[in-house]
Order: sequence, then C-alpha cells, then structure tokens
Amino acid sequence: MSAVIRLLLRRLGISVIVLIGVSMLIFAIARVIPGDPARIALGPNAKAEQIASLRAQMHLDESLPVQYGHFLADLSRGDLGISLYTNRPVTKDIAQFLPATLELVFCAGIIMIMLGLPLGILAARYRGRWPDHLIRVLSLVTVSAPGFVWAVILMLLFAFYLPLFPIAGRLNDSFDIARVTGFLTIDTLLAGDFAAFTDALHHLVLPAIALSLSGIGQAARLTRANMVETYNKPYIEMAQAYGFFPSRIARIYAFKPSLIPSLTIIGLDFAAMLGNAFLVEAVFAWPGLSRYGVAVILRKDLNAIMGTVLIIAITFLIVNIIVDLLIAFLNPRIRHSARGSA
Amino acid sequence: MLKKAVIAASICAATLVTTPVFAESVLRLDEVAVGELDPAKASDYADSILMFNVYDTLVLPQQGGPGHVPHIAASWEVDGANYTFKLRDDVKFQSGNTLSAKDVVYSLERMQALGAGLSYLFAGVNIEAIDDTTVRFTLEQPYAPFVASLVRLPIVDMAYVKSNSDSEWGEEFLSANGAGSGAYSVKSHNPQEETVMSKSDSYFLSVADAAPDTVRLRYGLEAATVRTLIAQGEHDIASQWLPPEVVQALAKDGAQLLTESGTGAFYFKMNTTKAPLDDANCRLALSHAFDYGTAVQMIAINDDISAGSPATGAIPVGMFGANGPDSVMAQDMAKAKEYLAACQYDPADMNIEVTWIAEVPLEERFALLMQSNFTQLGIKSEIKKLPWALFAEQVSSAENTPHISQLFVNAVTGDPDTLLYGMYHSSTPGTWQSPEYLNDAMVDKHLEAGRSAADDAGREAAYQALNARLMEIAPTIYGFDRQSVFAASNRVKVPALSDPTQAFGLDGMGFSFRLMEMVE
Amino acid sequence: MIRAMRILASNPLSLVGLLLVLLITFAAIFAPWLAPFPTHNGAVIDFAFANKGPSARNWMGTDLVGRDIFSRILYAYQISLMLGIVVLAIATPVGTAIGLIAGYVGGWTGSILMRIVDVFLSIPPLVLAIAMMGVLEPTLTNAMLAVTVMWWPWYARLVYSIARSEREEGYVLAAEVIGAGTMHIAFREILPNCLPAIITKMTLDMGFVIIIASSLSFLGLGVQPPTADLGSMVAEGARYLPDSWWLTVFPGLAILVAVFGFNLLGDGLRDILGVDE
Repeated sequence: MSAVIRLLLRRLGISVIVLIGVSMLIFAIARVIPGDPARIALGPNAKAEQIASLRAQMHLDESLPVQYGHFLADLSRGDLGISLYTNRPVTKDIAQFLPATLELVFCAGIIMIMLGLPLGILAARYRGRWPDHLIRVLSLVTVSAPGFVWAVILMLLFAFYLPLFPIAGRLNDSFDIARVTGFLTIDTLLAGDFAAFTDALHHLVLPAIALSLSGIGQAARLTRANMVETYNKPYIEMAQAYGFFPSRIARIYAFKPSLIPSLTIIGLDFAAMLGNAFLVEAVFAWPGLSRYGVAVILRKDLNAIMGTVLIIAITFLIVNIIVDLLIAFLNPRIRHSARGSA
Repeated sequence: MLKKAVIAASICAATLVTTPVFAESVLRLDEVAVGELDPAKASDYADSILMFNVYDTLVLPQQGGPGHVPHIAASWEVDGANYTFKLRDDVKFQSGNTLSAKDVVYSLERMQALGAGLSYLFAGVNIEAIDDTTVRFTLEQPYAPFVASLVRLPIVDMAYVKSNSDSEWGEEFLSANGAGSGAYSVKSHNPQEETVMSKSDSYFLSVADAAPDTVRLRYGLEAATVRTLIAQGEHDIASQWLPPEVVQALAKDGAQLLTESGTGAFYFKMNTTKAPLDDANCRLALSHAFDYGTAVQMIAINDDISAGSPATGAIPVGMFGANGPDSVMAQDMAKAKEYLAACQYDPADMNIEVTWIAEVPLEERFALLMQSNFTQLGIKSEIKKLPWALFAEQVSSAENTPHISQLFVNAVTGDPDTLLYGMYHSSTPGTWQSPEYLNDAMVDKHLEAGRSAADDAGREAAYQALNARLMEIAPTIYGFDRQSVFAASNRVKVPALSDPTQAFGLDGMGFSFRLMEMVE
Repeated sequence: MIRAMRILASNPLSLVGLLLVLLITFAAIFAPWLAPFPTHNGAVIDFAFANKGPSARNWMGTDLVGRDIFSRILYAYQISLMLGIVVLAIATPVGTAIGLIAGYVGGWTGSILMRIVDVFLSIPPLVLAIAMMGVLEPTLTNAMLAVTVMWWPWYARLVYSIARSEREEGYVLAAEVIGAGTMHIAFREILPNCLPAIITKMTLDMGFVIIIASSLSFLGLGVQPPTADLGSMVAEGARYLPDSWWLTVFPGLAILVAVFGFNLLGDGLRDILGVDE
C-alpha cells in the first residue's frame, strides 16, 4: 500500500471520528434551544394537539440519547428532516443553496491564491525594502476588517458611486438558465450562453473580492515568511553565490518549498471563508447557504441548523483532505517514501 | 497583460451583442422571505400575493366600497347558517381541468386538515357538494362575516394534485407548484429567492394586454438593494417594509408611491396581567403619555403621504364602529399624570419592558420614543429587541409576555371581526395578536354581538360599544391607523393601489397582477 | 524590557500599532468624558437632528433617532475591548492547559484531547459561534461565551505543538530524571517556553475577537441595541445606503482602525519575542 493511500485512509478515518464528534456537538447545541421548536414551527395560531403531534413526529418527547439515535439513523439514510422554515426537506434546501456559497467561496479562494502568493513572493524577494513594507501594511489592513465591512465599502464604491458592478444577486433576471450543477458559472457554459456566463462572473466579482481580502493578506504574509526562511537556507545562498537570476531563485528554489506550509493555511482560510460567507452573503443578497443558515437560526429551525452546520463541516473536512493530499504530492519526502514502499 | 485586455474587450463585446431584447413585459417586485406557495398555509403578505394570483376564491371584495362580489361563484344565498353557492361553469384550472364543486370541498377540507395559515377562519364550517356547480357551507355557530372569510379560501385543483402526489393533501407538491385557476401560473418557485409567474392564457375573465406577461416576486432583498435597483430601472414595486427614509429618497428621485389602507393598525400592546399594567389607570396613564404626533411624523414620507394616519380610537377608520376624524388620539401629559396618581402602584417602582420585533427596525424608534415619553412621567423602562420567532414563543405564556409589544395587525379578511376578535376576546389569549391577555366580560359580549348581529346596523352598534369600552380600559396604546406605502417605478400602473375607487380593502389583493398595466 | 522598547522604537509600524491601541483604550475608558454627547450611548432620541450627515456639531453625523455617531463609537469601543479581554482571559488559560497536558503527557489522553480540539476546529469558527448564539439569548455575556467556546481550541493547538517539540529537550529530560512531577514539568518547565508565542497570539487575537464579535452583532446575534456596538451599527446603517453612508462607513472604519492597531502591535511583538508565524 502506498504512503499516499495510507495517508488518505488515515485522514478519512480521523475525519469520520471528527464528524461523529461534530454531529454530537451540533446535536447538543441544537437541543438546548430555549423555546419549543414545534410551537415556533407551527406559528402563532397552532392548537395544542397540533403541537403535540409535531413534537411526537420530531421525537422531541423522547430522551436525548434516543433523539440522537433517531438523528443518526435518519442521517445514514441521507435524511436530515424537514425544514420548519421552508417546509421542505433540509437536503433539498441545502442542495439548492450550497452551490451558490461554494461558487462564491471557490472564486474567493482562487482570488486569494492568485493575489496572495505573488504578493508574498514579491515581498520576500524585496524583503526589508519598500515593496515588502507596502505589502506588509496592505496585508495588515486587509485582515483588519471583517468581510462585511469590506463588502459594504466595495459595494458603496463600485456599485453605488461607480456603478461598475451589480449590487445584488447572482445573475440578471433576463437570463433563463437551467440549473444543472447550481454553479451558475458552469451552468451558463453548459447552456452555451456566453453572455450569461460573463454576467454571472460580473455578479461574482465584488462579493468574491470582499470575501477574499483578509485571506489575501494572510496568504501573502505567510508565503513571505516561509520564503524568507527558505532564503536563509544554505542552498539558496549557494545559488546566489553562483549568480543565478533573482527571479529564477525566487520562482524555483525559494517558492516551491515555501508552498507547502502555505497550502495548509489556505485550507484553514477556506474554512474561515465558509464562515465569513455568512457576512458577505448578507450584504450582497447572495442566495447561498449562509443566508439560509442565519434565517434558520433566527427561527430556531433545528433540522435545518444541524444540516447546515454538518454540511459546512463536511465541506471543510473534504477540502482539508484535498490539501493534505496535495501536500503529500508536492512534498518529496512523502512522495519518495511512497515509491519506496510500493 | 495584452491577452487579458483582449479577453476583457471580447467579454464586453459579447455582453453588448447578446443582451436579450424583450418582447414581453416583466414586472419585478419584492417581499420578505419566505414565499409560501401552498395556499392552505398562506398567512403573510408574500403568501397572500402568491395566493391571490395563482388561485381564485368564490368571492372578491367589492372595489372601492364595502361588501363582496361573485368571482368563481356565480351567486349565493344565505339561509340562516346555510350558505349555498352556485359556481360558474366556465372556470378552468391552469391544468385544463374544469373547476367543480368537488374542488371547493377538497380545498376547504384540505385547509382544515392541515390546520396551518388562516385555517382557523374555517373552524366549525361544514361543506357538501350538492351537484357539480353547487356547494353548501353549514356553520356550527352564526358568523356574520362568513362571506368575507371566503376571500381566504383559495380553490385547489384536486385532480391535478392527486395525479402529481401520492399523499392525500399533496403538501410537498403544492409547496413547490401551483394548482389553481388564477390569472398567473407558477413558472418557478424558490421560497428564499424568487417566484416567477407568467400570465395564463386561459383565464376565465379577460385580462388586459398591458398586464405584465411575466412577474418576478423576489424575496428578502435588502433595503439598499431595492433602493438602487429601482433607481437603475431594474425593479418595479418595493415592499411596504422599506424604512421611511429609503422611501423618501426614492420619492425624491421620482418614484411613485402606491398605498393601501383601511385594514389594520399599529398597536402597542400592554400585558394586562402583569403589574403595574394590570391596573387600568396605569395603562391609561401610559396611553395618554405617548406622543402620537411624533410617531405619525416619524413615518411620514412627504407632506401628502405617510405610512399611517392618526388613530381615532381602538378601531381603524373605515371599519364598523370607528370613531370620526375629530377624535384623534393625542398626547395629554396632564391627564396622564392624573391617571398615574390614581394607579395603585408607585411609579418609582415601575420598570416597563418595551420590546420591539427584530425584523422591523422601525419599531426600535417607537420604543425609544415611548421610553422618553414614560421618562417624562417619571416611569423607568427598558428596551428589548426580540426576533419574531422568539416573540411568538414568549407570548404563549402570560408570565413571559413582555409589558409592551409592538405589533402591526390587520384584518385578514378585511372584516373587523378578524382584526378584533383574535386580539381581545378572552377565549384567544396568548397568540401573537393578543399579548394583552385581556379578559373583560363586556369586551367579550360586544365582540360576540359583532359577529352574530343579523345586519350591518347591528354590527355597527356592537363595534361602537366595543370601541368605547376598549378606550375606557385601554389594553392597548392605539398607535396609528396603518397605511402601507409602496415605492414603485413609473413603468407600472396599479389602479387598485392608487385610485381609492378601485381599492379592495383587503391586504395584498391590490397586487392582483391582472389589474396592473405595464407602461413601457 | 529596555531592549524591547528599543526594538519597538526602531520599528515604526509597531510603534504606530502601540499608539493606536493606547489611543483606543484611552478613548474607551474615558468615553463618558470624551464623548461630545455622553448620553447618546443609550436610549436617547433627538428627532430634530435625526439622520444628518457629518457636521461641526456631529463629526460623524447622527443616526436615525438623532444620536451622535462619534459618541456611540467611543462607547462601542468599551464593549469591544471588554469582550476581547474577557474572551482571551478565559480561552487562553483553558486552551493552554489542555494543549500542555495533551502535548506533554501524550498517549491516549493526548489523542483524545486533540481529537476533541479537532472537532471544534473542523467547524469554521464563525459558524460555531453563530450556531451557539442561535440557541442562546443574544446578550453580551452569551456572545462572550460563544466566542470563548470557539477560541480555546486554537490555543490548545498552538501550545500542543510547542509542548510536543519541547518534550524531548534536554531541560525537560533533566527535570524528569530528578523526578519532577508531571504537572510541575508541564506548567513550570514547558509553559514558560510557550509564553512568547501565547502573548503574540493574544495581541493578534484581540483584533480577531473584535472582528468575530462585531460579525455576530452584524448578524443580529450579539450585543443588543440600544447599547452601542460597532457591528450592529454597520448592520443597521447598511439598509440606508447609499444615501446615509455615514451610518455604516464610520463604524466600519472604527473596527478597521482598532483591529489594525492590534495587528500592527502583534506583528511587532512577534519580531521582538522572536516567534515564528
């Protein structure tokens, strides 16, 4: 068995344990809700018998371990129950809202990598000189405000005062695109509608930037730190002594080893973005899972709260496994040990 | 770099070339999420808009006046507790099925079985189909405004539901699809995002060509978004929940203002079971201390239009039993102090809990106003924000119900009974409408007289007596008569919301898209 | 100490950070005396001056009921700083203790402790806090509780990794040889070596706690009105964009300035204390 597969299995095993823990944690949180979810769900005009029957249906009248058992049994069938807020199966709601959030987060992630890494490389190459200081201050500024502040500022500047970008939503009404994947950038391409594709991208720009700003700062700082460390290693000094071009040293000798720790943090930033999407979606009226999450929390919608948090945790774990595998793939030590044991 | 510029340029060019050109007219409006499409579960404004357009009811409110006119029904007769309706035979559902008496029976039974939304209106109502086009309702209790409540009984296409769903009542199917006979059919429905409807070509009444071909009802848009979309010509009618400042800004930019009034009021409800508000003198002190004038100013849009008019008593102007415009409520500190002196509690010990509903930020301002008014009386108060869900939960027990709750209540059928009975009758305490927990024999008596009186004169007398009694014991600070104001672009004409002779006197009915006209 | 001051002085950015932090702390403590309208923290109305832009009377304009935004921002800093201090004062010792034990003792105890930490870390921090606030009543105390619950695992993780590497160091082995107790080694020998990293993280985290707390109140799940709070000021003001921009922009910038100060300072401390990122 190769080391990479062993690593994958180990990660999956840990993930399952973690997921069980997460489900218990969420379950515990959801069950201490003050107020009777059944009553809240049925609304102000419900009668006592209706409430009692819904309580029975939701197993609210049984003991906590039994309730957890029901929850796990339903979960294993892929059944997260009915959302009391939308009156639809939670899985259906999540399937509908998750793609919008993932699209936003992926887009923000791409922006983060595309801007954060180069800025970090630049800062490391000119370490101690003005580009380094400038990038340092800029990255400190970007991490210093929550996503919703950036969202409001960007919206004010580039949607209100300079109406360059749309202020809300994912796609102009005039486009009628069949939702296949839920990722509008993909669906529009599947439909072969290039105008709709650019419109979807256009809608993505501001929310994605607002979401990625703090990540850009973090990625840049981290890449810089790792590269500076690598720069101080003997083999780089040797390369410099040989008179290699600084850009070549930066690109090949200093950047690659620095990428590995950066990737770990990018995985963590992705998690932060899933959370921060709550804030950015609220400002840009982005119809995603986060907006749904806040709505169901305000309405004490148990099934939907559990479903939402669980799916976010799963997404996060999957991303981290992917990042681990990428690292394993990039890291010669792990890769070579894989070859050795094959 | 150059490559990027070229791509950008080609993207722009592509956008220019392929921007679609519309032959059909589109109306875009918004409401708070979620839009409940199942007509038996409809309760709030968004749900009502959907229901009134996708489904039809037996009767409709008379435009510009009191009373009801036939709609799906051709005519009806009343014989004591029996209401016999003759149906039109030319009404077709959007599926092509013909609407018959069986569908009416199914719709009522479905509503009663699900027990959600406004189904309480139909408790104690029995129904039978006499023949294909005749139904008879039998009431267990006399209920004068029964015909009015039929505007809340949308007729569902039974055969279509059954062919698309295995369950008896087709809940899942109807929460995502329309099955009505209305002038608009559902093209797509996403309860959090938007519902798209299109004009049905088989409606049994004629619909003007200018009526919008497609309607997009969007949910949960932010005020700032709506404000900008309307300014940019990308939105047509804003919801009534926009804050007054935003409506003002839109009106200044040239937006038209649509209004709807006469069905409800804004109330500050006092928990009559909780000290010191269990003493009527204390309640009267607070209601005289409240600055009604400033409250109405706070909701004014401009000199002519406001989101409310001064209340004249416990019953909104335009309904049975309302007081005339000469008895407008006003702050009277001298009287307030008099009542406070008569109150059994010491003002120094009082700490009044004033709540506001988190979803309605405007209420925070009323809370602050009240707090400063009460301070003038020497009464301390505390402001608390409550999300709606939590509020609805708290009012289920008198003990947890706050001292003062702010609520906009409207008559769901347009009849005063549906406004007042649920608020004040001692048999209905502890719902969101009745955080007063009022238990007053005289109020009960007048309310019962109001719903069982044989004619309008009898009802008028009953509600007048009720109004007087409610002023005397002041369970509520009657803030102002509510007028809903909708900022709208000039692309659309809505006579039902701009011409009083066309108004329906029923919340949401003004949004019958078939009666609107697109200008462009 | 003198060395630290000298390094700080030679690093102008950290100095700016220190000054910002001192300035904000000063403003928060003396808000009742510094605010032009000291009563405007609470439930005050002045409709004659409602919703006015910046002017000589109100430097940052007034809100929808006529309260001075500048005064409210000063008071809001009180809440933000107090929240940050309380959260870190609880989360840091708890996380550090768990991390130390897991890292030094290791074995099954360590694995179980760290799996628990992993559970907390595998839900995005804000989501966990939101979920908690969703079930608790939105008050300042509960907001502190929710943020604390999501915060301690990060300290556990940090201290764990340091303790793991220190475990094999000579001084620890020496202490073991002379028979020092587990607790003694963990808290007396290893902990001091974790302190620079912990202090740096705490400084940086003050900023992040302010961000998370303001995010909670932005979503309506934190400190409740009429108490002034930066996050809820932004949230309430956002409805009135673009016309009444001062309602959102100034509180938003206030968050930015405060967090920026802590970040600059923390960044400087990292250099001074020689902590790796």
